[in-house]
Amino acid sequence: MLVRFWGTRGSLAVAQAAGSIRSKIARALVAAKGRHFADEADAAAFVEDELDFATGGTYGGATTCIEIEATAGDGSFIVCDFGTGSREFGISAFARMAAGHARVFNVFMSHLHWDHIGGFPFFGPAFDPGSTIVIHSGHADVEQAFRRQQDEISFPVAFDWLRAKIEFRVLAAGETYRIGGLDVEVMEQQHSHKSYGYRFTDSAGKVAVFSTDSEHKIESMEGEADVANFFREADLVICDTMYSLADAVSMKEDWGHSSNIVAIDICHEARAKRLALFHHEPIYSDDDIQRMHQESIRYEELTRRDDSLEVLCAYDGLEVRL
Amino acid sequence: MKWSEEVRDGAIVASPKGKIDESTALGFGTDLEGAVASAAEASIKLVVDCAGIDYMSSRGLRALTLAKRKADGAGVKIILAAPNQIVREILAISRYDKLFGVTETVDAALAA
Ligand SMILES: [Zn+2]
Ligand SMILES: [Zn+2]
Repeated sequence: MLVRFWGTRGSLAVAQAAGSIRSKIARALVAAKGRHFADEADAAAFVEDELDFATGGTYGGATTCIEIEATAGDGSFIVCDFGTGSREFGISAFARMAAGHARVFNVFMSHLHWDHIGGFPFFGPAFDPGSTIVIHSGHADVEQAFRRQQDEISFPVAFDWLRAKIEFRVLAAGETYRIGGLDVEVMEQQHSHKSYGYRFTDSAGKVAVFSTDSEHKIESMEGEADVANFFREADLVICDTMYSLADAVSMKEDWGHSSNIVAIDICHEARAKRLALFHHEPIYSDDDIQRMHQESIRYEELTRRDDSLEVLCAYDGLEVRL
Repeated sequence: MKWSEEVRDGAIVASPKGKIDESTALGFGTDLEGAVASAAEASIKLVVDCAGIDYMSSRGLRALTLAKRKADGAGVKIILAAPNQIVREILAISRYDKLFGVTETVDAALAA
């Protein structure tokens, strides 16, 4: 199984401004200490090997969209969420379809807030008469959310003008479905108007869990055993880790999000193998996200039991092979 | 987790010992809220002597928040004293050092 992140930001898409690029370049030049590079490839190797990620790269700013390539799936694209990252995914999908990939998309919606549907009007395959897009959701009002987004008052292209065959299928929490050649288990989560988590198991037995926009309420900590069970021994858990725990239980309580350390605790309890920090706070700079990642790795070390949990930090373009 | 408490210099000093994670946080929370109630009754502050805590996961931290809500409602101040290096780091990573007063020693908490 391969998991590819097309959009990892939460709440609102963001972009790097000139000032932040300038400071990355300045920092890189200082780190190079006047070294001579033979060519661009030589310089790129320096960036890759010697600079930290927040200096040599960026976590990106597109909102949530993830692609799963299953081992021995049915050949369809498996996608989670239609955040703004899905525009880029659509371009990549066209290239692959031109090379023979099936023109079928199975998409699983965490929920229907703007940051999770906002890329759909720019998702190229929706305009392709040869494509079939099946949108799976725990929400009965999923179709309404997609249609309303393309009402004339908000968008120039009406939903009914899209040329692809588009279907909506409502899934029930607690059930396991066979979709796209994968087993897909559905869990209801705590969030405004609810959200849903998905547990994907492919034919090779690899498991990825997508659990974003999920608040783990302080009054119902016993319920986390159910979440740990949903994450049980997963090869990768993708978790909403938008806030620090202190923020999540004080000023930002009931905002529907979780923290890095609660995610690590539940993954430890679940004996999961890898955690991807996800749904990054839009006000965070690359330095802020990198610091949060380092602190998360440290917290994992401090609270580790028998098995270690690898803590990754999702960024736009990250690929994780399971 | 083992819990003990005493009244000292006009405060309740509670001394939990061991690790506080999902297996022990419930008992920790109950003991903590009991100490808050005693402190409220006596109109004194509550000092949690953290020296004996090996480590604390988010469960323990959130039990602290639940106790703090009761304490705030009853006008009781909770101070975390003398955390070991691990707990100190966890308080910083979770940003709980911004929610709670943290002191180097129990004496400093008593004087605060
Ligand atoms: Zn969101
Ligand atoms: Zn949301």
